[in-house]
Amino acid sequence: MPDAIKTYVHVVDAFNRRVGRIVMYGIFVMMGILLYSSISKTMFLPAHWTLEMAQFVMAGYYLLGGAYSLQLDSHVRMDLIYGRWSPRTKAAVDAVTIMMLFVYLFFLLYGGISSTAYALQYTETSYSSWSPYMAPVKIVMVIGIALTFLQATSIFFKDLAVAMGRPLA
Amino acid sequence: MSYEMIALLMFSSMMMSMLTGQRVFAAIGFVGVVAAAVLWGNGGFELGFSAGMKLMKWYPLLTLPLFIFMGYMLSESGIAEDLYKAFHVWMGGLPGGLAVGTIGLMVVISAMNGLSVAGMAIGATIALPELLKRGYDKIMVSGVIQAGSSLGILVPPSVVLVLYGMIARQPVGKLWIAGVFPGLLLAFLFVVYIVIRCKINPSLGPALPKEERNMPLVEKLKLLRAGILPFVIFFLMMGLFVMGVTSLVESSAVGALSALAAAAIKGRLNWAMWNRVLEQTLGISCMFMWIILAALCFGAVFDGLGAVKAIEHLLVDELGMSPWQILIMMQISYLIMGTFLDDTAMLVIVAPLYIPLVGKLGFDLIWYGVLYTITCQVAYMTPPFGYNLFLMRAMAPPEITLVDIYRSIVPFVAIMLVGLAIIMAFPEIATWLPAHVYVKG
Amino acid sequence: QDKKITWRLQTYAGAALAEEVVRPCVNAFNKAANGEMEIELYTADQLVPTGELFRAMQAGTIDAVQSDDDSMNSPVDIKVFGGYFPFASRFSLDVPTLFYQYGLDKIWEEAYDEVGVKWLSAGAWDPCNFSTNKPIKSLEDLKGLRVFTFPTAGKFLTQFGVVPVTIPFEDVPVAMQTGEIDAIAWSGITEMKTSGWEEVTKYFLTNNISGGWCGSFFANGDRWKEVPEHLQQLWRVCMDSSHYRRLHWYWGGEASLRAGGSSLELTTIPAEEWKTVEEKAYAFWDEIAAQSERNAKVVKILKDYQAVMEKAGSPYR
Ligand code: NA
Ligand code: NA
Repeated sequence: MPDAIKTYVHVVDAFNRRVGRIVMYGIFVMMGILLYSSISKTMFLPAHWTLEMAQFVMAGYYLLGGAYSLQLDSHVRMDLIYGRWSPRTKAAVDAVTIMMLFVYLFFLLYGGISSTAYALQYTETSYSSWSPYMAPVKIVMVIGIALTFLQATSIFFKDLAVAMGRPLA
Repeated sequence: MSYEMIALLMFSSMMMSMLTGQRVFAAIGFVGVVAAAVLWGNGGFELGFSAGMKLMKWYPLLTLPLFIFMGYMLSESGIAEDLYKAFHVWMGGLPGGLAVGTIGLMVVISAMNGLSVAGMAIGATIALPELLKRGYDKIMVSGVIQAGSSLGILVPPSVVLVLYGMIARQPVGKLWIAGVFPGLLLAFLFVVYIVIRCKINPSLGPALPKEERNMPLVEKLKLLRAGILPFVIFFLMMGLFVMGVTSLVESSAVGALSALAAAAIKGRLNWAMWNRVLEQTLGISCMFMWIILAALCFGAVFDGLGAVKAIEHLLVDELGMSPWQILIMMQISYLIMGTFLDDTAMLVIVAPLYIPLVGKLGFDLIWYGVLYTITCQVAYMTPPFGYNLFLMRAMAPPEITLVDIYRSIVPFVAIMLVGLAIIMAFPEIATWLPAHVYVKG
Repeated sequence: QDKKITWRLQTYAGAALAEEVVRPCVNAFNKAANGEMEIELYTADQLVPTGELFRAMQAGTIDAVQSDDDSMNSPVDIKVFGGYFPFASRFSLDVPTLFYQYGLDKIWEEAYDEVGVKWLSAGAWDPCNFSTNKPIKSLEDLKGLRVFTFPTAGKFLTQFGVVPVTIPFEDVPVAMQTGEIDAIAWSGITEMKTSGWEEVTKYFLTNNISGGWCGSFFANGDRWKEVPEHLQQLWRVCMDSSHYRRLHWYWGGEASLRAGGSSLELTTIPAEEWKTVEEKAYAFWDEIAAQSERNAKVVKILKDYQAVMEKAGSPYR
């Protein structure tokens, strides 16, 4: 593999790892919001923003965390056949079938960008009485999908290297 | 091409894509977005992302990452070790007693968590090494742990029943309560099986030597204090929810906090454990969420093709089947699909097709929720695809091979099917409690 | 012969309700169109989430929508008047009268032309009442209730201590049971029954914040242009038949269910006390009027109409 690709893989992996290590604390943000919600309900008037805010955080959590979860190889596969192959065969097949992931992520990204453009153009607010601006959460979602896309390209290069018998470190 | 043909084509392409061994969410999402684009042109390009907005608005999903966090926190909290020690001393004298104790442990863990992740993690890290050390048969214990952990989604609280409740529009509180007796029934059947097998062949689960469990009764009773913390956690989460103090998603946050507090009380919090729990929580949450994201897109296209009507038409009009025949066929098709499909995807894609029909045929949807959950448990466990299998492989020591794991689940799946048949024949096992206990939830 | 035209129409109503409020006119259209065109009907959140309805129609993911402007999250200033604009109508007949005799139709047409969507036809549904699990007998009882309601109505109601919550339509009964919401301020009693919400609530407050829901049929601008004129005309007739059917379905339903056909127990806030809510609504009108010139125009029409109705006296007011 050319050095440029090695550097690319290294940079993408390092960056997404950093992002993932930060995003994983999002679980406490969700927990905090929902606990505040139940406390405010019993102590004083409940807040009208908690449920929706927790949902925004959830969207950010799993989309921004998407890249790191790919890196950690957290995603299930059906390994009826796959499980019997050697690491090299696995990598070779993965390098081809990862196209499915690219296509899926491409459409997600396309829809995300289009939806974000809409949110910005019409200063879209959420369909609720709290009606926060939608652009921020959509931008976060798009960034998450884009990072996941980059991670997929990095994995593709790594699979390719393994398939060619020269793994990237 | 007729809509039925397109639907069939979509389904089979999804299966084929998954067979390649690519990540499940990528296979489902790929077929979903391509089908949307082919069928609807430009307009369909955004359906994939639109599913993301749908997922965001599906508020009960908030319980998912919180339950996952809770599960990992519990497994690291030390609660399970204490509990296991109590089961150890109290049950160890019986042939197979430790395995019976493991089932007991799994029931308690199940009552504290809504997924099977916690049970798997605890079973594999705490019970499994102990069982192997005592000379228990590795195939049997591998089955015990997987079957026991699968109770996590049947014994309340249960995330599967939450999602089922949203799709079937049934009260989650009642569904949870309905799972109590069926969960205990399955646990009982597992125990009966273990005891009988170990009676016949004591080498499968040798009784513990006397000196290991010989202690004064006072000491023995003191060990039961291990049950206090689990009870408190169960109450904070389930009790407050059922009484209507906390809402469903709030109660999952309360549960997560209480697991964290338990770990702190036990002095288990440290940097390494902290990182491990947070990382696993993110990884497993992402796994579930991305599958649901992809399945929602696939499901929207499927729904758009009128798949519900087509299935109803096929079963009721074309084949002229009776309600019970249809119900049994559905369960069988679930079981078959469940072996190959991820059950989360199955829930999002297939359940919306079946549940309305089950309701229309006049069956009780609370009862059906329990049947559905048990088929999910079976789906978890059966190869080639099963989430428990996946976890077991990742966590089990090397002496337990893939073949061992596959073989180990056979008797337990058979027992679950027996349990399923019993609950089909005697619906009261599921429906009695929710009919007689008032729950707000 | 040209290729058959197929439209995906998503209503904001849930499956059970859609059978009554939109299915009949879609079926009638499909039959009369005689194979030249077919409208496929989808219900709440089926293809796209309700909050994304407008954008999905603009992008062509769906071709047509039946909803109020508020629920479909239209990017137009006048969206606040859709759904239940507080005290804008007392009876359902007020809605078509305002549109077709007082000129709201022109305003709506203009507003939606600006954003690439064809506004087709407006009509009324039912009034907006509260349904709860605890009896509401005074304004004080509303305090702290988490209520599933329309965005604009929710904003208005916050001044009475109500906490508005927005969730997908079909999730309402379960949310009521899981404690995510405590009350529903979404409809009259006919919908409570039809949507199955009657089973998760106990009380029905007879005071309403609006006598008639205001919503419309819309279509993607380009898709509408592709429809030949005779089919456009046919769809207009069918939309009118839909409005008409809803007028009597709700009018009769509200009365007979209140008169004993429903399991819900009726409660009432004394008219004197409820008057303060109405007065607050007029202050809310002025706030909305200040938002844009077009909104000011609509509020003026509402006020003019109100004045005529007052002067006409019984049975109008
Ligand atoms: Na459980
Ligand atoms: Na399986």
